[in-house]
Amino acid sequence: MKISLLLFSLFAFALPASAGVFTSIEDRTAKIEADTQGNNSYHAHLARMLADIALEEKGQHDLEAGKEFINMAEDHAAQAGGAK
Amino acid sequence: MIKRITLLAATLSLGACVTHTDINIDELADARAAIAASKAAGAERCAPKLQAEAVSSLYWAAHEYSEGSIHPEENAELTARAISKAQEAKAASKRNCAPAKPEIIKLSGIQFPHDSAELTPASIAILDKAVDTLNRRAKINVEVAAHTDSSGAASYNEALSSRRAASVMNYLQSKGISANRLSSKGYGEAQPIVSNTTAEGRAENRRVELRVLN
Repeated sequence: MKISLLLFSLFAFALPASAGVFTSIEDRTAKIEADTQGNNSYHAHLARMLADIALEEKGQHDLEAGKEFINMAEDHAAQAGGAK
Repeated sequence: MIKRITLLAATLSLGACVTHTDINIDELADARAAIAASKAAGAERCAPKLQAEAVSSLYWAAHEYSEGSIHPEENAELTARAISKAQEAKAASKRNCAPAKPEIIKLSGIQFPHDSAELTPASIAILDKAVDTLNRRAKINVEVAAHTDSSGAASYNEALSSRRAASVMNYLQSKGISANRLSSKGYGEAQPIVSNTTAEGRAENRRVELRVLN
């Protein structure tokens, strides 16, 4: 029973962990900045701007909006193709 | 205890799947249209920062609208910013940005007998290398573009270059390159790359190249 519970908990926590739920928005913004440094493509600009909005929303205590925008920012950072 | 853990795990799992803000609301119709117009004008490539400002403002406005009428001024300001940045991006794209040049695969050395579209052995050897390239880059489609120098009438040169382009395309097809990936066009003397005043220049202008279309 205990082992089943342990396995279930590990699996359940793996999903949010892989989605970055346990990493702060500030850390994720910093990673986006680093990953797109010097990249002036549309997706790189958009990734940085969405990350800034995420920080702004978090600063206004809207953590859900902050997470939503940082997820979008990471999507665009991935499309930007890295730092230049 | 088990119920509590299950509830916590389910909450965290769902938290990983937050949906994106909905931009398809009536209040943002003008902003969406402005951004679509700037995108169509090439703004993602030609004015990427302005276009990103427009799109990020659109998303932010969509989020603010999702909170109802708590901050109506902020909603209106973000929407107006999305529209004005998109308009700036569109204008900048038209002003600054030349159309993207297609990638050209040069087939240096391809020659034809005078007034002929027949491939010489030397030209066939060059085309065999082009076949290798097209097999290696299996996802590209190309236009076989043939050019002449300015000797003779323009209409004659255009017809001759069309025959030569078709001849090259047929050879590539005969070597297994799918017809769906190939087209051909004769440009005649309309697109010289150097002056036609010298024999060397005219030789350089008589050429065949592959224009990558995708």
